[in-house]
Amino acid sequence: MKKVFRPLVFAAVPLALMAATPVVAATLTIGLALEPTSMDPHFHNLAPNNAMRQHIFESLTQSDENQLTQPSLAVSWEPTGDTTWEFKLREGVTFSNGTPFTATDVIYSICRVPRVEGSPSSFTSFTRDIAGIEVPDETTIVFTTRAPSPLLPTNLASVAILSAEAFGGENVVFGADGCENAGTYPASTDFADPSVAVGTGPYKLVSFNPGDRITLTRNENYWGGDVEWENVILRGIPNPGARVAALLAEDVDVIETPPIQDFDQIRSRGFKIEQGLSNRVIYLHVDSGEAVPPGVSGTDGRNPFADVRVREAISKAINREAIIDRVMGGVAVAAGELLPWPLFGTSEDAEPDAFDPDRARELLAEAGFPDGFSVTLFTPNDRYINDERVAQAVAQMLARIGIRTSVDSMTASTFFSRRGQGDYGFWLAGWGAASGEMANPLLALTATRDTDAGTGLTNLQNYSNPELDALIAEARRTVDDDARRAILQRASKIAMDDYATIPLHFEVTPWAFKPNLSLTPRVDQYTLAMGITAAN
Amino acid sequence: MSENASPENSVTETAAAVPPPVEDKGESLLRRHIASFFESVGATIGLVVLVVLVAAAFLAPLFAPQDPYDLATLSIMDNMLPPGERLETGMVALLGTDEQGRDMVSAILYGLRVSLIVGASSVLIAAIIGASAGVFAAYAGGRIESFVMRIVDLQLSFPAILVALILLAVFGRGVDKVILALVIVQWAYYARTVRGSALVEKRREYIEAARCLALPSSRLIFRHLLPNCLPPLIVVATVQIANAIALESTLSFLGVGVPVTEPSLGMLIANGYRYLLSGNYWISTFPGVALVIVIVAINLVGDRLRDVLNPRLSR
Repeated sequence: MKKVFRPLVFAAVPLALMAATPVVAATLTIGLALEPTSMDPHFHNLAPNNAMRQHIFESLTQSDENQLTQPSLAVSWEPTGDTTWEFKLREGVTFSNGTPFTATDVIYSICRVPRVEGSPSSFTSFTRDIAGIEVPDETTIVFTTRAPSPLLPTNLASVAILSAEAFGGENVVFGADGCENAGTYPASTDFADPSVAVGTGPYKLVSFNPGDRITLTRNENYWGGDVEWENVILRGIPNPGARVAALLAEDVDVIETPPIQDFDQIRSRGFKIEQGLSNRVIYLHVDSGEAVPPGVSGTDGRNPFADVRVREAISKAINREAIIDRVMGGVAVAAGELLPWPLFGTSEDAEPDAFDPDRARELLAEAGFPDGFSVTLFTPNDRYINDERVAQAVAQMLARIGIRTSVDSMTASTFFSRRGQGDYGFWLAGWGAASGEMANPLLALTATRDTDAGTGLTNLQNYSNPELDALIAEARRTVDDDARRAILQRASKIAMDDYATIPLHFEVTPWAFKPNLSLTPRVDQYTLAMGITAAN
Repeated sequence: MSENASPENSVTETAAAVPPPVEDKGESLLRRHIASFFESVGATIGLVVLVVLVAAAFLAPLFAPQDPYDLATLSIMDNMLPPGERLETGMVALLGTDEQGRDMVSAILYGLRVSLIVGASSVLIAAIIGASAGVFAAYAGGRIESFVMRIVDLQLSFPAILVALILLAVFGRGVDKVILALVIVQWAYYARTVRGSALVEKRREYIEAARCLALPSSRLIFRHLLPNCLPPLIVVATVQIANAIALESTLSFLGVGVPVTEPSLGMLIANGYRYLLSGNYWISTFPGVALVIVIVAINLVGDRLRDVLNPRLSR
């Protein structure tokens, strides 16, 4: 019976709406794959939290769907010297409780970031460069940085602005080693209270029930004009099957990351699927240090991965299109760099390595391993889309050129802690560049590891290339965008030619939603109510 | 598992009454047991199916169309083929292929082998450890008995699946590690079963007679006490094989069991589970059917063994 009526209903809904109002439904319900861990925007630098807070709290700048930095609470900014940035603040902005937004709120927020107690992943990396803040007039704020900081406007997009007045911090004075007169900073748990979670964003908090739902309502004081939805409900539904079922039952309007194998079913029931390229690259790392790494055998005491020809052979042995077609269900894009074109620092002509098993075998022979060797490929099995299955497909392809590969998969927490202990010689992982520009993955994955300097923090593969290090360092202190882009493009080419990381593919993020909606996919994979509108 | 006799199982045979001493008329007793076993049609069918499956699983390398554990022979381009389609090599996949391009017939045969090896060896090792502990506790008595049996109680108070999950999370994946985990969660059943029957046997005259002869304790335990405690042990062990296979499948299904490139039946089911709703039924269904057949066959045999070996039922 239901099937008979469905087309009629779909035909009737748009007609009825055309007659009434352009807003389809006052309430939007979103099924999230992962629930935010806190309502405190400075507590946990985690994708679900960062997406959630954008509804309530804004920053000086914001990153758009392609992760380009755009104005938000600041209308413009420019470098006034090597180490100074001048920001012009937006006028006429008020917080949801009616108090006006001023430069003091910016200072207070930056002061609080390093003072969040129990933060599992802090936002200090975004504010660390700031050495001084001055407010020459009411709408201007000038930041002095410790060193040239070309990324300051990008970094400030990650720092949510709180209301100083709400916490008694009106007289705060900035100090690089600690602020004064800031009063008592609020605890992270306080933000579950709507009267504490006060921001300038398009929505304000109604209730936060962990494990069930987060309810938001329109902020009447929002400076940006009309807000599409009267109410927004965000429900954490971690199980993918349950999420799809909730959509099909129309309990929710939008869901994050429906499983690829359910696409046909979702489409056949009349729902829409939108896909967007993400900034997350799935890659292979090999320990290229001196010693024979764990899991490698049959190499006569040599580390095969120290030879760039072996790394090239691995890359050429992999049929990326087959993985995308057969394992990813076509929902991924082959990678030739660590970020997809057209993000900052990428090159349009950076093609993925072509599948060439014959050349791969030749390269192995040239490197002195005509009979291959044995290796264990480690992979998480619940972190990235189809991670364990991609690893098995890679193992198959490597077996074909003589690298006998076994796969050891485990849950993500175990995988990452064992990787940190140096238990692996060969592994599959992913990297999402939060800043959306090439310096981020190059610095994390390929720069020589130095925890004090903060370089190569995820380079657990003992890779070191002084030429590449020099270029990355140069890019980090170049303020001029065009010059920096050129340096990053050169650095990326060097890294790829040396197989400093073997990229496989970029994940593509899917969303499924009701047919009367439209959604703008974001490279950072965030699901924002602001990006969902009623389709005309 | 119920220990009660069901009426249709009570055999009107007079033999096999009071058991000890086994050696005296072992030959005829065994023959009677065998004859009695085959009186049940269900058990006979179960045994035949089991023998065929075990043979098929262990001879799999000889006739399976493909070696699903050799990654170089698999091709990802062959994945998710429905039953009856041809692989790149021209081979026909009678039951289709899974997400990695493994031929399901081969994968089930090899997976069955892993499941049977894990089930049988874990039960064997657990039975040896448990029976030794149980008979020792019963013979020693006193504080030693209390101590051993409290460990058994402690072990049995935790759900087996929970203990096995924790152990495997610590050990990591691997067939050997799954066997170790299953031994740890199962030995207590045997200890308790054997201790119970050893307590009864201990008071019998033949043991007293042996004591009077001043035989050494080890001889008393292993030559006199233990052989007479075997029948219930065999019954529990047979049923436990099916439980162990199901437990291994559960663990592999949950992603902590055998390595992903060497799937057991449970892992094959887990791999196909997410495609069930998408119409690719064959990946989960056929290994599931194979698992059900094995477990039912083992349970039929086990139940019949219980009836045959339990003197109270055959009287």
